[in-house]
Amino acid sequence: MNSILQVIPLNYYVALAAILFSIGVMGVMFRRNAIIVFMCIELMLNAVNMLLTAFSTYHGDASGQVMVFFIMAVAAAEVAVGLAILVMIYNNIRTVDINELNKLKW
Amino acid sequence: MNPSLPFFVLATLSVFSALMVVLSRKPVHSVLYLIFCFFTIGGHYLLLNAQFLFAVHIIVYAGAIMVLFLFTLMFINMNKELEPHKSNLLKGAATIAAGCLLLVLVAATKGAETLPAISKTSDIGTVSNLGKALYGQYLLPFELISILLLTAMVGAVMLGKKDVE
Amino acid sequence: MVLLSTPVDYLPIAMMFVVAIGFVLFVMFATHWMGPKHKSKVKLEAFECGIESKGNSRLPFSIKYFLIAILFVLFDVEVIFMYPWAVNFAEWSKHGLAAFGEMLVFLGLLVFGLIYIIRKGALKWE
Repeated sequence: MNSILQVIPLNYYVALAAILFSIGVMGVMFRRNAIIVFMCIELMLNAVNMLLTAFSTYHGDASGQVMVFFIMAVAAAEVAVGLAILVMIYNNIRTVDINELNKLKW
Repeated sequence: MNPSLPFFVLATLSVFSALMVVLSRKPVHSVLYLIFCFFTIGGHYLLLNAQFLFAVHIIVYAGAIMVLFLFTLMFINMNKELEPHKSNLLKGAATIAAGCLLLVLVAATKGAETLPAISKTSDIGTVSNLGKALYGQYLLPFELISILLLTAMVGAVMLGKKDVE
Repeated sequence: MVLLSTPVDYLPIAMMFVVAIGFVLFVMFATHWMGPKHKSKVKLEAFECGIESKGNSRLPFSIKYFLIAILFVLFDVEVIFMYPWAVNFAEWSKHGLAAFGEMLVFLGLLVFGLIYIIRKGALKWE
């Protein structure tokens, strides 16, 4: 199992991260429930995290993995405030359908 | 056993569960599929020799963040099983747009040089090595993270607390 | 001290997980299989002391739980940052108190947050 890094080229990880990121982008455009849209953003963040880890391991440099820590902290802060905002919105207008949340639209 | 088998199994599961996050009609199923997807990504971390990152990923994402999502979903979509969906035209447009993005990303990275396979002694994923990098080179960002968390706390309390008097 | 550093070293743990999950799944399916089954409408109903069940089981809950869950996530991330520090602390503390001070600044700012939360009464359970 240790030899996996010798048989998997870095390209595969790049491709996998690209696929996951694109699925996240698709989900953001696909769904109307604001919570699912938020989850797709998390999916994109995770694709980037995985790519950073892969580069970090293949280069033998710990910086990439430290960056993943920072991204996780930022994601946690983002989720905390974002979900609080969503719950607030729901309490005020009783929906989280993004087609209804168009008050700021020009 | 083919040594690249774990990677392909995990990659297939990741892509499948990520697709199901987008395509499943019930929001709760989406959350559960996303949790599964995070576990498979954690498996990739293990394959990449980043054990501490695996543990942190499971604790923070699967353990905390997704529970929060599930919580919010229970809070908001309590009795609505099915949500309204976008029109098929918009769905098709979204799929095509995402496919184009994927095409561009893959095409852009296809010609890149591959890194040579690494030596066996890659123990940078251990806790102590990460700590040395985190508290050496990245000390300032680390301290700034505490300010970010402080801000998030204040924001969450401001938004979530009903004004009591 | 030898650190576990390759995935192969974790194989026993993985095997333990497989055995544990397999046992749970086996027992769950076996009980369904082996137990006697008598299905009827009355029997499948949620039992409420003979009173007919009514309403939805998904009741709205207080927003207070939600706020506590959010704060838990934030403090969870904070604790994550302490692991790499704690592992290296014994070595660093030989060279003075710098490492201690670093963590003190980090925790100090978060204690401000905790004081704010407590003063605001966000953790108060009415």
